[in-house]
Amino acid sequence: MSVQDLSQLGAGFSHEGFGSQAVFRVALDALSHPGRCMLVLHDAQTPLAGQPAAAALLLALLDSDCTLWLSPSLAGSDAASWLRFHTGCQLVEQADQAMFVWVAAGDEMPALDSFSQGSDNEPDQSATCVLDVAQMGVGTDSQKHWLLTGPGIQDVTHLAVDGLPADFQSQWAANHASFPRGVDLFLATQNQLVGLPRTTSIQLSGGL
Amino acid sequence: MFHSFDNVEATQPIARADWMALLSRAPLDLLESAVGTHWPAKPNWLRAPETGLMMVQGRAGATGERFNLGEVTVSRCALRLSLATPEVGVVGVAYALGRSHRQVSLAAVADALLQDPTQKNLLEQTLLTPVRLHLAQQRSQREQAAQSTKVEFFTVAREAGAPDEDGEEV
Repeated sequence: MSVQDLSQLGAGFSHEGFGSQAVFRVALDALSHPGRCMLVLHDAQTPLAGQPAAAALLLALLDSDCTLWLSPSLAGSDAASWLRFHTGCQLVEQADQAMFVWVAAGDEMPALDSFSQGSDNEPDQSATCVLDVAQMGVGTDSQKHWLLTGPGIQDVTHLAVDGLPADFQSQWAANHASFPRGVDLFLATQNQLVGLPRTTSIQLSGGL
Repeated sequence: MFHSFDNVEATQPIARADWMALLSRAPLDLLESAVGTHWPAKPNWLRAPETGLMMVQGRAGATGERFNLGEVTVSRCALRLSLATPEVGVVGVAYALGRSHRQVSLAAVADALLQDPTQKNLLEQTLLTPVRLHLAQQRSQREQAAQSTKVEFFTVAREAGAPDEDGEEV
């Protein structure tokens, strides 16, 4: 274990149990209502790098048995030492070995199929990806946005996301098609979280 | 339990790892008298005091294969202390055997204070030296207790020239 510089480190949840349970509840709601923007309320002093909602989510989910891959701009930042200190998770160099993946907004997202996909017998062994995005919200008719359908969605959910790679939709279609394998996704902004389980299918709406 | 650097000369500057090792074995009353007054009104926890189990490993004769000796109860904490010199504040970390949260919190405060050059000399006298003394005492008591059970083995030398019991020549 390397020696960390703790002088700039922020605190975790003021109450470890209640704090992580509250965020876990939000994550659960986000995955059971794909595409719905969830507000993440927490009192952790999140690191400067990365989106705070993503940091809080990982703080709640990770423990010392988890492996985490961080995109280049996060790997050397205070976010890495913050998560290492508070959760004890293991940072890995190879994205395909990680159970959790966190990609910062400016970094290039590795292809979704390069992450751990699980197997047909153990689809739960696939990676959970947290992607930082610039902003997201309920799509309006005047802009191009996603129409989401699938389990957990009554009719259709509208979602507009800003800050994903151009070919994301085709990658997601492949991810969706490989069910039961495939990764589950969380999109995070400053204080919002959107869950995209592998069962959700994305169509593009017209816009003007 | 005891380390070679416990008896280090006071003239030598002490490294952080060494004083942390001393603090983790410092009894509560010594910590309370030395740093009890520095206890912040509202501690800024990075990691609030928590108690858990840790696996202790040993080596037979200190050289053999490593094996799991057993689990011990350990408390740990980390806090940030606002000091005059570094503006960001320094972080004190402490681990100690047992379940005393007060003990481990005060040890973390002492660790933070020892990183401040202006406080270090004073604490060296009021805390580290007494802790070394306490550990030396503990050690000598333990050695005495062990000494009383010492058994001396010796063999009586055979008379020269006597044949071996098996009849072989030695």
